[in-house]
Amino acid sequence: MWHITKREIYDNLNSLRFALTTVLLLALMVTNAVKHLREHPKRVQRYQDAVTESLSHLTDRANDSLYTLAQYGPGNFYKKPSPLHFCANGGEPLLPDAVEVDEPPVFMTDAEGNRLLEGIWSLSYPDANLHNKDVGPKVSQVDWAFIIGSILSLIALWFTFDAFSGEREHGTLRLMLANSIPRHTVLIGKFLGALLSISIPFALAVLVNLLLISTASTVHLTTEAWGRLGIIFAIALLYTSLFVALGLLVSARVQQSAVSLMILLLTWVTLVVFMPSTLASIASSFSPAVSFDEFWQQRNPIEEDLWDKYKEGLWSSELDNRKLRAKSEFYTENAEREERRQEEQLKYRTSQVHRARAITGISPATLLQHLIEGFAGTGFERHLQFAENTQRYTRQLREFVADTDRADPESLHILAVPEGMSKKPISPDAVPRFEDTLNLSKDFNTAAMELLLLTLFVLVLLSGAYLAFVRVEV
Amino acid sequence: MMLTLIRRELLDNLMTFRFAVAVFIMLLLVVANTAVLIKDYERRLAGHKTEVQKSREYMLEGKTYSVAELNIDRPPNPLSIFNTGLDKRLGNEIWVYYGHVPTLWDAEKHSSQNPFMNILSSIDIVFIFEGVLSLLALIFAYDTLAGEYERGTLRLVLTHSVSRGHILLAKYISAMVCLLVPLLMSLILAMFLLTTSPSFSLSTPDFLRIGGIMVASIAYLSAFYLIGMLISAMTRRTSTALMLSMFVWGFLVLVYPNMIVAVIQPSNPPEERRASVHNHIKQIWEEFERERKHFLATDTHLEGDPYGNMRWRGGYNFEHFQDKASVLQYYYYAGAEIDGFHEEPESEALHVQNYHRFLVPLIIDTAEHTWRVRKPVLEELFILPATVDRSWLRLTPTGIYDIATQALAGTDLNGMQDFFTAVQQHRQSVIDYYYDKNAFASRQWFSSDKEVVDWSALPQFSFQRSDISINVKRALPDLFLLLTINIVLFIGIFLIFVRREV
Repeated sequence: MWHITKREIYDNLNSLRFALTTVLLLALMVTNAVKHLREHPKRVQRYQDAVTESLSHLTDRANDSLYTLAQYGPGNFYKKPSPLHFCANGGEPLLPDAVEVDEPPVFMTDAEGNRLLEGIWSLSYPDANLHNKDVGPKVSQVDWAFIIGSILSLIALWFTFDAFSGEREHGTLRLMLANSIPRHTVLIGKFLGALLSISIPFALAVLVNLLLISTASTVHLTTEAWGRLGIIFAIALLYTSLFVALGLLVSARVQQSAVSLMILLLTWVTLVVFMPSTLASIASSFSPAVSFDEFWQQRNPIEEDLWDKYKEGLWSSELDNRKLRAKSEFYTENAEREERRQEEQLKYRTSQVHRARAITGISPATLLQHLIEGFAGTGFERHLQFAENTQRYTRQLREFVADTDRADPESLHILAVPEGMSKKPISPDAVPRFEDTLNLSKDFNTAAMELLLLTLFVLVLLSGAYLAFVRVEV
Repeated sequence: MMLTLIRRELLDNLMTFRFAVAVFIMLLLVVANTAVLIKDYERRLAGHKTEVQKSREYMLEGKTYSVAELNIDRPPNPLSIFNTGLDKRLGNEIWVYYGHVPTLWDAEKHSSQNPFMNILSSIDIVFIFEGVLSLLALIFAYDTLAGEYERGTLRLVLTHSVSRGHILLAKYISAMVCLLVPLLMSLILAMFLLTTSPSFSLSTPDFLRIGGIMVASIAYLSAFYLIGMLISAMTRRTSTALMLSMFVWGFLVLVYPNMIVAVIQPSNPPEERRASVHNHIKQIWEEFERERKHFLATDTHLEGDPYGNMRWRGGYNFEHFQDKASVLQYYYYAGAEIDGFHEEPESEALHVQNYHRFLVPLIIDTAEHTWRVRKPVLEELFILPATVDRSWLRLTPTGIYDIATQALAGTDLNGMQDFFTAVQQHRQSVIDYYYDKNAFASRQWFSSDKEVVDWSALPQFSFQRSDISINVKRALPDLFLLLTINIVLFIGIFLIFVRREV
């Protein structure tokens, strides 16, 4: 078997296609690295500026008093740019990069503009990044996901379309099988040969790419990032073997290599280019636009409802604990409801996207895209993780505020109203800080299904190739 | 002789497996995707209708002129099915305010649809043609000369008294006829689907535009066939020709367009320029603010706050500077809606009316002034890089084809700009209407105590997509370029083939 593999590799190394492949992959990977080095520092800078500003808000508020912190909350939250952005862009420009902290609503002012009823902050999820005003032509990003998903798969077919049909045309297949080699050994030999010959230029290109990126002083890759890169490389090989298997399958069944290439190319176009977009369009037709009536019903029913509920407490004439408690409950419930409404909308939209992603997952190219996004820490799942992180932090911060207030003996312990809460400034260092983290094991969990599906695709195609080759007449 | 040659080639091509596959795959992809795209268009149209109704409702809610919410929603272009272009990508909701000249960059996406869905890839018919037509053309072309050479039939043909040019022409014509079958069949089926859908109302110019797209498709197909033929003429073996064809296809269709846009760097960083112009615009508005303050200070009745001396019963007022540095958006926004007053404020009201008679024309003038500053910079910041990208894309037939069909469908940048120019004109007519009604100096500008604004007489917005002749004019340079590529390739093939030893 090793003999066959070796022969295949030697054959390929000397061919025109090997040279062209190397040049092509190198050019793409260098482009990718240069682009990343050009853009990533700016992205990180933008993020850091935003975080600094947001932190200064938090510090100011903490320095002012506990109540100010409870009323205005922390500054906005920003999504940390992934150092592996060059692996997958993940539609990042179309996703929001922040979760916002809404200003406290003012329910009522008097004639002089003094705020009589003033609520507390709540989380809100902005729609999309509105800075995206690109009027340039529509192109795919040259990231790893594109290079592997479109180019490498095409190369895999390019290397395998004549694996059997070419040998049959030359008559060497009969010669080879005249020896006492079982057919499955021939198949595995061919498979490994093709996979290794593609891996050589690909690994070379990846190395050059990573060399460029890791030697630059502006980008720093952690150990975890290297681990993620290793996983992405393994996924790339798995994906390539899928197309190698497909190439072998068709090549074994078809008599002429030209016909084999034609079938393979058209299959490739369907699988990689059209299926993701067509399925996405089909999937989005399951999520219709909001109609006018629906919109009208959703419009602002919260406040009126709450007004009725707390009317009596809020309007009692003297300023006693009962009124304060009513105010506190009113503010808290208003913020909670506002947040719940926002969360529900997010959930609804997320479920639509998840359904669409599940449908497009029939295409291996989309599976690969999702997997690389998942491990590179970009894209939709990452956005959800970020939103979850902010929610967790919000709970933490609110608990912190309640605990600190409890520690102050002068306070009435009625949260969210100025008269009922601690007015002392607190040390900004004691306030918990938001940290946007990525979790590798969590990424594995979300990716497990897709990984399994991709492996299944490979196995099915490989066994298909085996069956086809075993039964074929030479 | 020519006819015999053509007939032979035709029969050769028609009876092959690849012809059957070509027809099948084209029909499958185009019909399936057209059905999906029609659904998608209907959904976008429904979203547009919701938005129109919503903005009408918002407009009617405003009781005074100064708080008017005049939103305009951009309808989806039915021809975006053929080439989406910028139709889906750019904002479709634009706010018309007398104190700011609306542009494409001020438009937002309306909220009727799930914005997350934008991360999914989208498709259109031209995209299918770009990928599949070129591939089919190369598959038909790679062995047309190399194959005959390999089999030795080329020598046989040339022993007759046929000129080499005739052979080339016959091969070209017959292959094109064969390739046109799947193209035309799929287009006709797509048109059939379009006409059966109730939400599409295509006019005669629209059909002419689709005809233009068809012509562009044929030119594109022919360009790729000629590329394949060139490769076939240069190589001696079909397998080499096939290998090279596929590489060229992958490079031209897949690699080059994506790579070139990533490679070319914007020459000078626009950030500084943006910041300086943003400051300039800010200064213009600060100048305005000084004049406004000055006016308020000189009027003893107003004492710095236009509504300060009036005792309201209810209502609200607001004023602030809207600031979005990324698109150089900066303007003064103020409004008031006062429901009633505690005491009859006749004389006070006259002063406030006087203030607005002075202020609003000043706002409009300042807006015009900033627009003159903003317009060239917006073009430099956003349109110029996009134009550079496009001209680099013109180096491949795929890029030219895409640009030409966008222009024909009206989903290119010019088509989008047409809409925003119409919105700007609409803003002007609203301002003229205000002047006619003397709205700024009226009491309804800020208060609804006496009379609520009657919105029914406000000029209606209407937008007609540009005339077909303009679309064709925009597409013509690229169509011409595509044609030139065809001719150059043909001449190249001829020269190579004539000198070739058989």
